Amino acid sequence: MSLEDASLDIVPGELLAVVGENGAGKSSLMNVLYGLYHPDAGTFLMDGKPVRLRSPRDAIARGIGMVHQHFMLVPTLTVAENVVLGREPTRRGLLDLDRACDEVATTAKRFGFQLDPRARVDTLTVGSQQKVEIVKALHRGAQVLILDEPTAVLTPQESDELAQVMRGLVAQGRTVVLISHKLKEVLGVADRVAVMRRGRTVAEVRAAETTVSALASLMVGEGSRGAALTGVPAPPGAVVSDARDAQAGLAPLDAQDARGGTAASAPGVFDARREAAATAASGPLDAKSEGAGTVASGPPVLDAKDLRAKGDNSRPALQGVSLTVRAGEIVGIAGVDGNGQRELAEVLTGLRALEGGGGTLLGGPLAGLTPALAKARGVGHVPEDRLARAVVKAMTVEENVALGRHRQPPFARGPWVDFKGRRERATRLLATYDVRPPDPTVALQALSGGNQQKVVVARELDADPKLLVVVQPTRGLDIGAVAQVHARLREAKARGAGVVMVSLDLEEVLALSDRVYVLYEGRVTGHFPRKDLDERELGRRMLGAESDHG
Amino acid sequence: MLEVLHSLLFSTLDAAPALVFAALGAMLSERAGVVSVGVEGMMRTGAFCAAVAALAMPTPVAVLVGMGAGAAIAAVHGFLSIRWRSDQVVSGMALNLVAMAGGTFLLESLFGPNGTPAITQLPRWNVPGLSAVPLLGALSGHAAPTYLALTLPFLFHLLLSRTPLGLRLRAVGDKPHAVATLGLSVSALRWGAVLGGGLMAGLGGAVLSTAVLDRFEQHTPAGLGFMALAAMVFGRWTPLGAFAAALFFAFGNALRIGLASSAPWLLDLVPQGFLLALPYLLTLLVLALQGQRGHAPAALGTPYEQESR
Amino acid sequence: MGERTRQVLPSVLSVLLALAVCWLTIALTRDADTATRAYLQMLWGGVGNWPAFLDGGSATAVLRPLGEAAMKAALLTLTGLSVAVAFKVGLFNIGAQGQMIWGALAAALVGAHVSLPGVLHVPLALLAAALAGAAWSSIAGVLKLKRGVHEVISTIMLNWVAVSLVDNWLVIGPLRAVAEGHQSSITGTAEILATAQLPRLLGDSSRLNLGFPLALVAALGVWVWLGRTSAGYETRAVGLTPEAARAAGIPTLQRAGGAMALAGALAGLAGAVLVLGTEGRYPGSLGAPYGFDGIAIALIGNNHPLGAAVSAAVFGILRAGGTRMQLLGVHKSFPELIQGFALLFVAGRMVWLAVLRRRREQPAAEVPRA
Repeated sequence: MSLEDASLDIVPGELLAVVGENGAGKSSLMNVLYGLYHPDAGTFLMDGKPVRLRSPRDAIARGIGMVHQHFMLVPTLTVAENVVLGREPTRRGLLDLDRACDEVATTAKRFGFQLDPRARVDTLTVGSQQKVEIVKALHRGAQVLILDEPTAVLTPQESDELAQVMRGLVAQGRTVVLISHKLKEVLGVADRVAVMRRGRTVAEVRAAETTVSALASLMVGEGSRGAALTGVPAPPGAVVSDARDAQAGLAPLDAQDARGGTAASAPGVFDARREAAATAASGPLDAKSEGAGTVASGPPVLDAKDLRAKGDNSRPALQGVSLTVRAGEIVGIAGVDGNGQRELAEVLTGLRALEGGGGTLLGGPLAGLTPALAKARGVGHVPEDRLARAVVKAMTVEENVALGRHRQPPFARGPWVDFKGRRERATRLLATYDVRPPDPTVALQALSGGNQQKVVVARELDADPKLLVVVQPTRGLDIGAVAQVHARLREAKARGAGVVMVSLDLEEVLALSDRVYVLYEGRVTGHFPRKDLDERELGRRMLGAESDHG
Repeated sequence: MLEVLHSLLFSTLDAAPALVFAALGAMLSERAGVVSVGVEGMMRTGAFCAAVAALAMPTPVAVLVGMGAGAAIAAVHGFLSIRWRSDQVVSGMALNLVAMAGGTFLLESLFGPNGTPAITQLPRWNVPGLSAVPLLGALSGHAAPTYLALTLPFLFHLLLSRTPLGLRLRAVGDKPHAVATLGLSVSALRWGAVLGGGLMAGLGGAVLSTAVLDRFEQHTPAGLGFMALAAMVFGRWTPLGAFAAALFFAFGNALRIGLASSAPWLLDLVPQGFLLALPYLLTLLVLALQGQRGHAPAALGTPYEQESR
Repeated sequence: MGERTRQVLPSVLSVLLALAVCWLTIALTRDADTATRAYLQMLWGGVGNWPAFLDGGSATAVLRPLGEAAMKAALLTLTGLSVAVAFKVGLFNIGAQGQMIWGALAAALVGAHVSLPGVLHVPLALLAAALAGAAWSSIAGVLKLKRGVHEVISTIMLNWVAVSLVDNWLVIGPLRAVAEGHQSSITGTAEILATAQLPRLLGDSSRLNLGFPLALVAALGVWVWLGRTSAGYETRAVGLTPEAARAAGIPTLQRAGGAMALAGALAGLAGAVLVLGTEGRYPGSLGAPYGFDGIAIALIGNNHPLGAAVSAAVFGILRAGGTRMQLLGVHKSFPELIQGFALLFVAGRMVWLAVLRRRREQPAAEVPRA
């Protein structure tokens, strides 16, 4: 829980956006407004009168509705059952499902949603499930609707549609509170923007009177803003590596300006941390940018042909993906979430079985790859879901450092754990990678998310991988950690590793990649060497547009 | 032949209620997401308390006492697993051990090793006219629990599938967080289901000592609670499925006992041990064939934890 | 509060509280004096009547009770280890009872029907028991790993299948001892040969046999395996975060299956120690449900192999002393009640930790949100 003296004014009939970095306290504040969390101190006034929200029941009774970032739907129930749950229509004591369906259909229609009330929720698409969530809140008479990161899981089209829905609600006199960290999107739809940082609300501004870069400065704090204003590269969290990070961040921007000439869009594509980093590093840009621009010429470490695999829902997730990765280059995989990127990474690390296709990976066949085999050939892996896949959080840091290489020196001697060797190696890595606290004997779960990620990156790079597969490597990290992780990826590349980087963050892809593949519905819809990188074109391909000219 | 079938049906209907009640109780608790391996201990406590109470009060009232005792054990389970989010299997097994040893201890201290003194059994009801009808006549001449056991599963089915409460119980077993965000209390729903399950298990135990037997015996319920779990799983966590499975197991048991007395030569071909093992083997087989994941409530065994306080 | 204390303290407090509560139940059903004398009898029955011995009594007064305690502790250690090992890989082995039954039967058969010199006979019988137990637990393991069948359900079912098949068929049917003229009412399987008996360590005055050191070696072995070998490390990783273990190239199915088989082998050994050490044959039924006790022993021992051994020693002493309580009219199963309550209180571990935390503000690191 991370709120400290946060205040927020919500004006009826407006669309208020609350922005802030990950961990700034946006979701916590909203959960307080919805009665899920209880503040240690502070007051909540509604129409000028103090109100206590003991549970969501109180919030609902006062016309507050919330759409959570992770949907709160019961997958085995139907749309109607989910919507009426807790205020079920009855006839003679029994559930009146027909009436429930009618009611839900009416509500849905009133707000322009297409929903089949009798469909089971687990058969719906993510976009439809979100609509169920919204209908659920509106059905309870919500006058104030809170949406927590609603577009994180949506395709751009769905996001546009959602924006219209939100504007429509406001036009009807309702109040919408939108939580997001996508500044451009926020400015496009909100009336007013509240900025949070480290558990506090640091500013409230009218959307019309601000810019993305101004908001970004507010989000990342005084130090960065100072840097932004004066050009002094001295944000406290961002060390030298930040500068390196930043120059790459600027490179595609320049390219785009030169090519497309749509200067107006340029600042908008930056999210907060990149903006800060970019400004912090304006100096040594040209001197270093050639590294990113050159085309790698190492031997291929991965040559995949026509990969096919099924997703968790056993629907086809990869439908014929071919790609090559050479030693000494970073290959970005761009795409809207859920278009096969995750499955691709899993195939390359042996975690997901191929259904068809193949090729070679580090001198062996890609078909029949297992995690152990992948490790043995020199594949490193920084998975997306750290706590589920990368670490054993209840084990100590040193035990986690050994994970994956625990049968080799210095972590093992024969069948035995080599306690001394493991301690030495872990201690060294913690120092090198600036993990805090640098104590190898504490449980990993006692570390912050950023430090946990540093442990993972340290472990994987220490194995000197020939192919490194990273997925969303900086999600949820603070600026300093982001910069460090990026620097380490470049370092791996410089040492001759081929890097496959899956990221939903287009800025990250543009900043680091030597080449970019775009995935859409399990197929490659675009392949760009760095010199041809064009954000607009990438965006088009991410939405499924095929190339115009072959 | 008809005669044999009649007596088989009759003893099935006589023996089934305890199993049916316990299976329904376990199902109720598990549908709300709370594992119910303690059902054996709840039955034992219910059986003991009902037998002791029947020494001092009318037997039907004693049955209610037995139900209350089952619910009391369930309350301990609820306290540990809902209030304190303890491991539900551990808590249930602990209660089984306590009920096992505690029952023996109290029985010996209060009555000696041979079980409680005999009590008045629940009266048996003859349905006029029905007794004469072939086969259907087997429905006549049972105590009240039998008739209750034939109706309750349908009421449970109605409760789960057609009432608001049932909808909420199903939801809380599948996705408690969704229920919480709608302003409903996850713990209240789970408490209700666990206590209801305890009442049912206690009833199952009470029936053993007031209708099937006329006393509490050293080993009651001798694994019947675990068989109830098997019936619940076999019936895919549904009231009617659990009911059918319980009837089927009870029938198998009646068949085995019937064979032992009427056709012992058959038992040389198919040993009793096999028949005893059959319900469990069948449950294992069904699980092996279909896998379990598709049918158990999704949040079964997971303590509900709000992300923060 | 240190990590070690956090691990151990709730268990210790639980056992003490259970002792207190159970004392109260005797005091309430009888009187306080009887309760106290019953507890003293339990103690003398478990560790030996030292006052009498020091007053010039025979050594038997001490050796016999200690032998009984050690014998029971051996069985509890092995079944406790069985449950604890499965726990380490994330599986709840309710099935130690069934595994023990098959182990006991295998040991009884090899002990009675194979002729070998003692040096080979005992190990062979132990091996057979371990294999039988492992085979039985592996059914649950395979069902879990291949079909997703929850092991709690499957091991419960397998217990009853084992009881039904062995106690209600094999032992009273095909494997029943052939009466040799004199008595026709032998229950259970044939007597094992002398070469298969676990040697008594203290002569005839005590039933202390090789089973006790064997159980201790097993506990030490499991402890070393889990804590000091790569295979044990992998097993723990699989138990804590299976997906991460898989991603790290650990053969998770093999580790989980292996741990489940080891759990069965340990429970099977318990059956062998019972048969080869004291019973001399597979009796009509296995009697005390040591397999279920294993759950209590493992959890009171906090699923630590050495913790299980310690808790087995404590309850071995109490249960050996339980027989002496009968002198005062308290049923010999009374220590099982103590054990049940102790497990119940351990299940409330979170309550203990909350109480302890309230008393001493604890500085442990806050677990950050991801």
